Order: sequence, then structure tokens, then C-alpha cells
Amino acid sequence: MTSAVPVSPARTAGVAGDHVHDKHISTLEELFGDAGDPVNPVGRAEIVAADERGEMLAAGEDLLTGFGLNAHFVPEALGGRFTGLEQLIGVMRAVYRRDPCLGLGYGAGSFMAGVNVWTAGTAAQQLRLADRLLAGDRAACAYHELAHGNDFSRTGLTALPGPDGRRRLNGRKEIVANLRRAGSMVLFARTNPAPGSRSHSQLLLDTDDLDPGSVRHLERFGTVGMRGVQLGGIEFTDCAVPPGSVLGGTAGLGVETALRSFQLTRIALPGMTVGLLDTALRTALRGARSRPLYGGTVTDLPLSRSILAEAFADLLLADTFTTVAARSVHTAPAQAGVYASAVKSFVPPVLMRAVYRLSELLGSQFYLRAAEQPLFQKLLRDVQPSAFGHASRVSCQSALLPQLPLTARRGWLAAEGAALPAETFRPGMPLPGVRFEDLALTGGGRDPLSRSLVAGAADAREDGGIAAQARFWCAELDALAAAASGLGPGAAGPAASPYAFGLTTRWAGVLAASACLNTWWHRPPGADAFADRPAGVLAALHRLGTHLDHHRDPLPGALAEPLYTELVRRFDAGLTFDLDCRPTGA
Amino acid sequence: MSELTARPVPVSVSADEVREWLRDRVAAHTGRPVEEIRPDLPLTEYGLDSVYVLGLCAEIEDHYGIEVEPTVMWDNPALDPLAEALVPLITAH
Ligand SMILES: Cc1cc2nc3c(=O)[nH]c(=O)nc-3n(C[C@H](O)[C@H](O)[C@H](O)COP(=O)(O)OP(=O)(O)OC[C@H]3O[C@@H](n4cnc5c(N)ncnc54)[C@H](O)[C@@H]3O)c2cc1C
Repeated sequence: MTSAVPVSPARTAGVAGDHVHDKHISTLEELFGDAGDPVNPVGRAEIVAADERGEMLAAGEDLLTGFGLNAHFVPEALGGRFTGLEQLIGVMRAVYRRDPCLGLGYGAGSFMAGVNVWTAGTAAQQLRLADRLLAGDRAACAYHELAHGNDFSRTGLTALPGPDGRRRLNGRKEIVANLRRAGSMVLFARTNPAPGSRSHSQLLLDTDDLDPGSVRHLERFGTVGMRGVQLGGIEFTDCAVPPGSVLGGTAGLGVETALRSFQLTRIALPGMTVGLLDTALRTALRGARSRPLYGGTVTDLPLSRSILAEAFADLLLADTFTTVAARSVHTAPAQAGVYASAVKSFVPPVLMRAVYRLSELLGSQFYLRAAEQPLFQKLLRDVQPSAFGHASRVSCQSALLPQLPLTARRGWLAAEGAALPAETFRPGMPLPGVRFEDLALTGGGRDPLSRSLVAGAADAREDGGIAAQARFWCAELDALAAAASGLGPGAAGPAASPYAFGLTTRWAGVLAASACLNTWWHRPPGADAFADRPAGVLAALHRLGTHLDHHRDPLPGALAEPLYTELVRRFDAGLTFDLDCRPTGA
Repeated sequence: MSELTARPVPVSVSADEVREWLRDRVAAHTGRPVEEIRPDLPLTEYGLDSVYVLGLCAEIEDHYGIEVEPTVMWDNPALDPLAEALVPLITAH
């Protein structure tokens, strides 16, 4: 359906892009072929059938092994292909477009384990995991215990020294992807019985090195969505830990390592999930166009076109925010924690709502088991864990909250610190490498993405819609600064009010707006016709206002029509709906 | 917050002064009377753990005009050792 389409990606049009990375995604797309081909072993029909069986699609896993997906989780310096977060998201998004279970169940779990080791492991530990992953093995990232949910500092599993001085594991981990079949695991354990944030460590373990007599695997956990992902549990009883397992060699750094390293995954996961919305949108459009109604099709109805255009704008909003956050990890690593929490709290609900609204558009077609678009109900189920998995919305907001008063005083009112370098806003352009050692626990009150909003608004030469938006979001930043600096001392503590939590949502809103406006202001010359007109960014900002409850207005016709036209153009040409706008057979 | 930034930055301080100021802030953060805040107990006792304690770190920075690694709050889980750890940073400044 797509291989013959000679369209070059918009993002690299006319400029020297990252060709190696482009080539990887194209290769992956070619391997997956045409999803609609009924005899394609990794096509839509097989993916739905595997989901019905609650299994990973074996042919899909083989394909990803052949492609060498694991190499994309391993830094280049360790022999892998990981050069940056945006590239990784691009590759994984191609997988999520086909099957989110393959994305999460084959790959993302290994990347989550990996970032811990790339951030805090010794050189030997990094080499060990890199070799394992490059050999095609999986790594499990075992943090979660049912008893403690998102509150991993209350972790119960212990790795305390036994009578002989050697550490022993006692306790259990639950609902962890690939626990049973992974050759390595990063295990989050309590290494000191005292409360506090210096009492935990990650252990890097080879499952072969553990005494089978002291390890018991729990029954697989069934789930509503992501049915193929093999979620396991494990129980240790006095299991001896091989020497050299504590990540980084020093016990007690576990909470710090988690908060620093998961900044990468909290940006990457929502970025990958944009691929799920891409396919949901394609599926809904296919269904709506083929459904005859009132003498036409569903897409002849203005309301339907508006819903489709809004879902497209939601996708552009989500992609722009995650892409800028991903690139800022390279250009402002010390603030990555703030942007990761903002992305992880804000983007998943946008994606979920969009998929839900598309399900309404499809009507019974998505609900009937034997309907035309059976993939859609799977996507609707698969999108749910993005909200609560790997740090829930509220836990990300609680990470932003204590930083809010200082950021208001230092970063917004006193205007301390620089704006982000321009290349942050030029997707596909080269960046410095990720410096894991520069990831920090707090942003130190500096907020360069907001500085970029203010600086960009002051420099902008245009008038009309974009200028009005720039003024609006600068005023919102001022109002937010006033509200945040008026917070009482207890407001950002454990007893924070819903009002204070709401301020973190407004903060994420300003950051998303800055990402959209600055990506527009920094657009490359010679971008394609759609990228060179403001309809896309204005529609994304309009939707941003809807998600923040600023208004409930539908997309105005002047924005909805060009978006719908572009949507159909890309659908017919077999192009993705994200900023990348690249050929896909999904 | 204005009462925090308006205070003059002290030139030299004792651990006692720092500790008393910290007790005051912990009381304000947790909504408890200051007499209840014991400087020898870990702050987790008052619900100020992991990321929440980082808000207190921000106040220390603003009040004393210094930059501190947020991990100083984790390495010194009670107010007594925290005050001791902060004094050299404040006087160096
Ligand atoms: C498909 C899938 C794959 C998974 N893979 C893995 C894996 O590989 N490894 C792993 O370790 N785990 C994994 N998990 C587990 C997952 O990380 C947990 O299920 C999740 O993080 C915890 O969710 P919870 O709702 O139980 O959290 P809880 O913390 O129990 O939250 C319950 C409620 O309280 C709210 N809440 C939480 N914190 C706060 C707060 N500070 N203030 C106010 N409200 C709050 C939450 O928003 C939520 O509404 C996976 C789960 C799924 C579904």
C-alpha cells in the first residue's frame, strides 16, 4: 500500500537529516509490510488473533529480533544504536503503530531496565547488560509490588546482608513484564531497613545466577488490555545475591537512580504511544469513510470531520510536546526531570481521550467482535496503561509540585537562566549526545522551555493568530507565576490540595504551548505546504485549550477543514500523521 | 513566601540557629505546632519524604542564598545532622 509512494518525510525536507536513523525506521516499516494484507504474518489479522489468545505475536517478535530492536536500547558507546531519545521514539513508534503489545512487551521493558544501568551502573555492569541485550536477550525491570503501587520508596522486597555478610533477597515483585523469560533483571530492593530515600538499591541480576530453589515465579497476571504482554511475578526466599550485583557498587542510591534515569522513559513511553493513536486514527478514518450513511459516508458529516480533525490535532500536540521534551534531554539535561513529569502527566490523557472519541465515531463497528475494524477495540484497551503505568499522572504531578514555588520565584519572576538552544525545536536535526550523568533530581528552579516562550514571543514578527496565542500563553505564565508564588508553605507538601495539583497542570500547559509555538517559529525553510502554514500549530493550541478546560469549543472550520484535508491526503498516500509524516504500511 | 525572601542573608550562623529555622519551616510545611517537630527524628516521620522534602531544600536555598544538592536532604534525614551539614555551606558563602 505504501512502498511505492515517493514522498520524503516533511521533517527532513530540504535539509540534511539523520539518515541512518531514517533508514532504520524505513527498514522496520518494510519488514512489517502492509498491515492490511490478509496473508501478512505480521499483519492486522494476525495481531488481532494473537491478542485474542493473550499471546505475543511470535512472528512479530522474530521480526524484531531479526531487525535488532534491542540494539536501539543500548548506547552507541556500548556497541548499540541508541544515539538519542527522539530516534528511539521514532523506531518504537513504528512498532506501536503495528502492535502496542510488541512495543511494550518486546522492547520498552528492556529499555526501562537499561536506563537504570546506563545512568548508574559501573562500566562492567553496563558492558554486561549491553552484551546481553545485543545478543537478543530481554531484561525485566522489576520495581512494582502490589502492596505499594507508585510509592516505590515503601518497597518491601529486601536485599539485606545475611549472617555470612552476603546479601539475600526476601519478598516479591508483581506485574512485571517478561519476568519469567528475561535473562537479566534490574531489581529494585530495600538495602537498608531504615525509612528514607537512601535505603534502596537496584540490583542487576542474571537469572541463571540465582539458586532456583529460592526463587518462585507467580502465575501470570491477566489484564484488560496489552493482553499479549507477559506480566509475571516473582517471590524470593533467602536467595543469595551474587557479589557485584548492586548497581554502581554502592548501596543506597536506588531512589536517586530511579528518579534520574526514568526521566528518559517518562518522555519516551508517551512518545511511543503516539504511534498507537496514529493507527487508531487511520482505523477510524478507514471505518468512517467506508460506512455509508444518509446517502453519503460518515466522513461527509461535518461533525465527524471535526472529530477526526481534532484527533489529528491532538496527535500533533502530543508529538510536538514529547519531541521537544525528548530533544531537551540533550540540550538541558538538568531540567529533564521537570519536562518528563510534565509530559508523563499531560500527554497520556490526551492520547486516551482521542482514542475514546474515535471509538464514538466508529460506533458499533468498534464494539462488535466480528466487525470491520476489529483492531480498534484492542487499541482502545491497549492505550489505558499509558495513564497509570510507569508513574501515574498524580505521582508525576507530585514530583512537579515541590518544584513549583522555587520555579515561580527563580525561573519565572526573576527570569533566571537561559532559554533552550534553537536546535531543541528542530526535529530531526543533530544534537549533542545524552549525558546520563547530568540528569538531576530537580530543575533547580530553572525552566528554559518557559524562557523560550517569553523570548520567542518578544522576537516574533507575525501578527494574527500566532501572535495572539503567544500573548495568551505569556499571560498565562504570568498568572501561573503569581498563583504559584502565593502558595503557602504546606501547599506543596504531602497534604497538597487539589488546587495546588491543578497548578502543575497549568504548568504542563504552558510548557506544551511553548513547545508548539517554538517548533513553529523554528520550522525549517522549505518545509512542505502543511508544515509551512499555521493551521497545524493553531489547531494543536486550540486543542491544548480544550484539554486544560479553557473552553469547550469545537475546532473552528477554518482550522478543521485544512486539517481534515491533510489527514485524508496522508491517509491516501500512506503517510504517518505525526511530525515525521513518513511512509507507513500500518 | 515573601517573608522568606525578605529576610537578610546571615553572614555567619550556628547549627542551633539553622536547626530552629528548619524546625519552623517543617512545622509550616506539615501544618504541625513547632514543639512537635523533633530534630533527632527522620523527616519521614512527618510525611516529608522523597520528592516532598525537595520543596524544603528550595526554601533553604532561597533563605540562605546558597545552592545545595537536593540529596543533602536524603543524606541527613533528621534536622540535627541536616543543620550541621548546612552550616559550612552557609559560612563558605
Ligand atoms: C501492562 C503493564 C505492564 C507493567 N509492566 C511493569 C514492569 O515491567 N515493571 C514494573 O515494575 N511494573 C510494571 N507494571 C506495574 C505498574 O507500574 C503499576 O501497575 C503502576 O505503576 C501502579 O499503579 P497503581 O494504580 O497500582 O498505583 P497506586 O500508587 O496504588 O495508585 C492508586 C491511585 O492513587 C493515586 N495516587 C498515587 N500516588 C499518589 C500521590 N502521591 N498523591 C495522590 N494520589 C496518588 C493514583 O493516581 C491512583 O489513582 C505494569 C503494569 C501494566 C498494566
